[in-house]
Amino acid sequence: MSRLATKELTLGYEARDVVSDLDVTIPDGKVTAIVGANACGKSTLLRGLARLLTPRGGAVYLDGKALADQRTQDVAKVLGLLPQTPVAPDGITVADLVSRGRYPHQGWFRRWNDNDHDAVGRALAATGTADLIDRPIKSLSGGQRQRVWVAMALAQDTDLLLLDEPTTYLDINHQVELLRLLRQLNAESGKTIVVVLHDLNLACRFVDHLIAMSGGRIVAEGVPTEVVTADLVEDVFGLSCLVVPDPVAGTPMIVPA
Amino acid sequence: MTTTLSKVEAPTIDVAKALRGNRRRRAARATTVLTALAVLVCALFVVTMMIGSFRIGPFDVIASVLRLSDNAGVDFVVRELRLPTAMSGLGVGLALGASGTIFQQVLRNPLASPDFVGVTSGAGLAAVVAIVLMGTGGLVVSGLALGGAVLAASLMYVLAWKDGVTGYRFILIGIGIAAFFDGLIGFVLSHARLFEARQAMHWLTGSVGQASDTELRLLFGGLLVLLPVAVLLQRPLRALDLGDDTARTLGTRAELSRAALLGTALVLVALAVSVAGPIVFVALIAGPIANRLLGPATGGIVAAALVGAATLLAADLVAVHLLPTALPTGVVTGAVGAPYLLWLLATTNRQGAGG
Repeated sequence: MSRLATKELTLGYEARDVVSDLDVTIPDGKVTAIVGANACGKSTLLRGLARLLTPRGGAVYLDGKALADQRTQDVAKVLGLLPQTPVAPDGITVADLVSRGRYPHQGWFRRWNDNDHDAVGRALAATGTADLIDRPIKSLSGGQRQRVWVAMALAQDTDLLLLDEPTTYLDINHQVELLRLLRQLNAESGKTIVVVLHDLNLACRFVDHLIAMSGGRIVAEGVPTEVVTADLVEDVFGLSCLVVPDPVAGTPMIVPA
Repeated sequence: MTTTLSKVEAPTIDVAKALRGNRRRRAARATTVLTALAVLVCALFVVTMMIGSFRIGPFDVIASVLRLSDNAGVDFVVRELRLPTAMSGLGVGLALGASGTIFQQVLRNPLASPDFVGVTSGAGLAAVVAIVLMGTGGLVVSGLALGGAVLAASLMYVLAWKDGVTGYRFILIGIGIAAFFDGLIGFVLSHARLFEARQAMHWLTGSVGQASDTELRLLFGGLLVLLPVAVLLQRPLRALDLGDDTARTLGTRAELSRAALLGTALVLVALAVSVAGPIVFVALIAGPIANRLLGPATGGIVAAALVGAATLLAADLVAVHLLPTALPTGVVTGAVGAPYLLWLLATTNRQGAGG
């Protein structure tokens, strides 16, 4: 069984169930994208996987144990999340923000040690943000800022990393740059990465495993080249299109008809 | 991938070194700032007891407070007349500074000072009722004010609760409650006789020079327990700073931590108000000043508490000795604080960071 999976998972807000009876398995050591139209439940599923929502039915399993029964701080050492719109206090510097990713590894009285320095240093170096450490977050460009947030999530040093629409506010260049960074992190450390994405073409190009959702259910999952067809896109996004091979990577590319 | 790896390996050492330097500088700055603030507070504490119609030298004051000297005249002036005021300024300032910065950080809004949410108004209403309708004074007024503050705080928390407490909801409910209580205060005052109305107004302006021994004991007892608690809670607060989602994925129990932080801050401000009345603006400015001294987003609670104490002791010196007629402390803090508030309103709106 893989490390992160759900069984008959039902999640919702207030009166409404958003996703129901989902059985999802996140493949270990791979980059997985959750895609789907707006309001299909993809962010809800991610929040459920990250324990930000309590299941109404079924359960999320992390390392074979129900997530809801595990201690918050223990979960935080294994599973990290970058929320869709993270907030930071006024004037906080890059070094301060990324350092706060070490939170779950520290106790009430434990001092900052070499492991913490190394983890933060690695996170900054891997995201190419090392020369920004004294800069306030506010003064950074959107692309830099997103890389700094990824650095904070990396400093947490978890085997699994979830990202909720990390490319939303970025231009195409920075979107590609961020996805390349995720690929690189996966290749270097074998980290399991799950990312909610809007752009199906980018998802096909950069991930190993695709979960397509529609109306709170999973419509298709698997390797992008195998699951992405014109019918699927019609089904999930209601868009009639052609699917052609990407001229560079050969992955499926969606062209509106 | 090997090329990327080797590219990454080399700078890692430099980054770790830079981070260590960065951390060391911040720690050094924190030590310097805290030491300087502590010295300043001690100095103001002593100066408060030196000046007056009968001047006493600093060493005589210290000797008398520490019970090292034996001069009946000096001892009477220092210990009986001036020490309670100085203690009250110190304790109320510490409590206001700490609770103000906790409110601002937890509710993520520089305007979210306990002055503007209902706590102070709750205390004020209870005190005015005690003075005007019950004709009492002294300890009864303080006790009722404490009760009023705690009641307003609980009311605010209960009304703001909806699957947890969030910043804006809490502030809006607090402002609503404050307006409601202020209305009732006006109503009670309009039915008061002149003497009692004057007494009530004096209480409502806030002054450190009216504390009794029992009140001070309660205040310092509270500080002794709650300041260490606040220092411990600084850790989850640093995670909550990043929003609930991030705080929870970092392993904080967000709702529990917030309840503990707000509870601590509410009790601190309730104690302060019951001792000195609603002294405005100290809680509002202490946190931002501490942040300016320590560096952005540091949010030091102890530093803010010390800034609060220094501000209040200084304000009381000005109110009592520098102005032609002795005024309640609240007049001075209000006169200094109001322009700051205007500046804050103007700049936060411009940055669009009101929330």
